[in-house]
Amino acid sequence: MARNRTFILYWLALVGFVLLPQLISVKYYIHLCVLALIWVIAAQGQNLIQGYTGYVSIVQAGFMGIGAYSTALMGMHFDLPVWLTIILAPFVTAFFALLTGYPSLRVKGHYFAIVTLAFNMVIFIVLMNFHDLTQGEAGITGIPKPGGKDALFNWRDRETYYYFVLIIAALMTGLAALIVRSRIGQILVAIRQNEDLVGAVGIAAWKYKLFAFVTSAMFAGLAGAIYAHYQSFINPEIFGIAQSLDAILAVIIGGSGTIAGPIIGAFFVVFLPEYLRFADSFRLILYGLVLVLATIFMPRGIAGIARDLMEKRRGRT
Amino acid sequence: MATPVLRVESLCKSFGGVHAIRDLSFDVNEAQILGLIGPNGSGKSTTVNSLAGLFPITSGAITLAGAKIDNLPEYDRVAKGLSRTFQTASTFTEFTVRDHVVLGCNVTRTSHPLSSVFGIGRKSSEEEDLAARVDRILDITDLTPVQDQRVGTISSAQQRFLMIATALASNPKVILLDEPAAGLVSHERKTLSDLIKKIRDLGTSVLVIEHHMALIMEVCDRIVVLNFGQKIAEGTPEEIRNNPVVIDAYLGEAA
Repeated sequence: MARNRTFILYWLALVGFVLLPQLISVKYYIHLCVLALIWVIAAQGQNLIQGYTGYVSIVQAGFMGIGAYSTALMGMHFDLPVWLTIILAPFVTAFFALLTGYPSLRVKGHYFAIVTLAFNMVIFIVLMNFHDLTQGEAGITGIPKPGGKDALFNWRDRETYYYFVLIIAALMTGLAALIVRSRIGQILVAIRQNEDLVGAVGIAAWKYKLFAFVTSAMFAGLAGAIYAHYQSFINPEIFGIAQSLDAILAVIIGGSGTIAGPIIGAFFVVFLPEYLRFADSFRLILYGLVLVLATIFMPRGIAGIARDLMEKRRGRT
Repeated sequence: MATPVLRVESLCKSFGGVHAIRDLSFDVNEAQILGLIGPNGSGKSTTVNSLAGLFPITSGAITLAGAKIDNLPEYDRVAKGLSRTFQTASTFTEFTVRDHVVLGCNVTRTSHPLSSVFGIGRKSSEEEDLAARVDRILDITDLTPVQDQRVGTISSAQQRFLMIATALASNPKVILLDEPAAGLVSHERKTLSDLIKKIRDLGTSVLVIEHHMALIMEVCDRIVVLNFGQKIAEGTPEEIRNNPVVIDAYLGEAA
C-alpha cells in the first residue's frame, strides 16, 4: 500500500516535470532546471555510495569532469557521433573509478573521504595542466549538441534539451531505485549498518562497495557528458572539490538513502544560490549558513522529514 | 570412528610478542557439539576468530571437510560451511528479523546478484526454497512471531537467537557460537540449550565457547579446555568435570 502510494507520487512528480516548461515564462529558469536535472543524475550516483553504502566520496564532480572531457575528446579526435560518445563516457569514467576505487575502498570513514578528495584534486590538476589534451584553463569550446545537422528536434532550444535530460534523469532514477530494491541494495545498506558483520554472513563486502563506487561514478560520468553537450563548453573550474561538496550536500539536504532525496537536493543546490543573489557579496556566506543549519536541524533531509510526516499521518488515521 | 568436519592442527597465533594460542589441535566431528572452555584470556575467542578468518594465523592448519581453509578470507569460509556468531550482539538493526535471516542465505544462492536488479535470470524456485528455509529457521529459533519487526526493536535475547538464525541460514557444516548464553536469563538459557542440541540433530556440528558451566556440561558431547593459549585437557563432560588439572586451572572445587 505504502509502496503504491510512493509510486503514484513519483508519477505525479514526473507529470509535473513534463508540464514545468509550459509553466515557466523565463527561459533562464528552464536553463537552471536543465542544470538541476543533470545534478539529479550525479546526485543519484552519489547517493548510492554515500546514502546507501555509507561511504562519503568527494570525487563526484571529478568523475563528472572525466565524463565531460571524454565525450568532448572522443567526438573531436575520433569523429564519433554525439550519441555514442555520451554512451561511452560513463564507461571511460568507470575505468578510472575502478582504478581509484580498488585501493581507496580499503580504508573507511574519514580516510576514504580524504583519499577520494585527493583523487578529485588530481583530476582537477590533470585537466588544468595536461594542456595538449584538455587545453588547460581555457577549456574546450564548440562541443556539438546532439542531433547533428538534419535533427528531428531543435537542440539549441533549451526546452528540447530539458526534455532530453528529463528522460535520462528519470531513467537513471529508475535504475537507482531498481538497484537499491534489489539484493545488491540490501547488501549495500547492510554494509552501511555493520560492515564487519557483512563478512561474517559470507558476503565479500569489497565487491559490493566497488560496485557502488563504480556505478556512482558512471552516473557522474553520464551527467558530465550531458552537461558538456548542453553548455558546448567545459573547463576544469566546474569539476573541482566545491562541486563535489555540492553533490554531497544535495544528498544530505534532499534525504540520504532515499530515492526522492537526490531529486530534491539537486534542485536545492542549483536554485538556492540563485535565490540568494539579492544578498550580493554575502550570497555564499548565506548559502553556507543555510546548508549548515539544514544539516544540523534536518539530518535526514527533506525526504526524511516528508516520510516521517506521512508515517505520522498514517498512524493517526 | 567419528569423521572430523573441522580439524585444527598445531594452531599458533601471536600478537607481536604475545603468544595467544600455542600448538592447539582438536577435531570437531560430524553432528557433534564441542565445548571450548577456559579462564578469561585463555585464548578461546582468539581461537574462534582464527577459525572464522578474522585475522591470519601465525602457523598451523585448519581444514573443513578435508579442504584447507586457513588461507581463505572470512566470507569464503562461510561459503565453504563455517559460520559464526559474536560474543556481543552484532546485527543489522534497521532490517526486519526476516530480512536479516534472508541476508544470511546469500551464500546459498546460485543466481547472479545482478539478476535481482533487472529481474532477468531470476530463479523463482530459488526464492521459494529460500523462503521455506527461512521459515524453518525462524521457527526453530522462536523468531517467527517477531519476523516483521525491526531488529533494533526486539529484545537482546531475541537478537542473540537472531545471530544464530542468521548463521544457520548459510547452511553451515560447522557453526561457531561465541558465548551464546551471555546476558540470557535461566529460561532463555534452556531454550538456547534445546536449540544447540536441535542444530546438532539436524546435522550441523557446533563449536561453543561458554562460561556458563551448567549449559556446557549439559549440551556438549566433548569439551576442550584451554589455559594460557594451550590445551590442558580434552574429554567428555564427565571426564572434564573430574579432571584435577581443569579443576585447578578453571573449574574450582565446587564444580
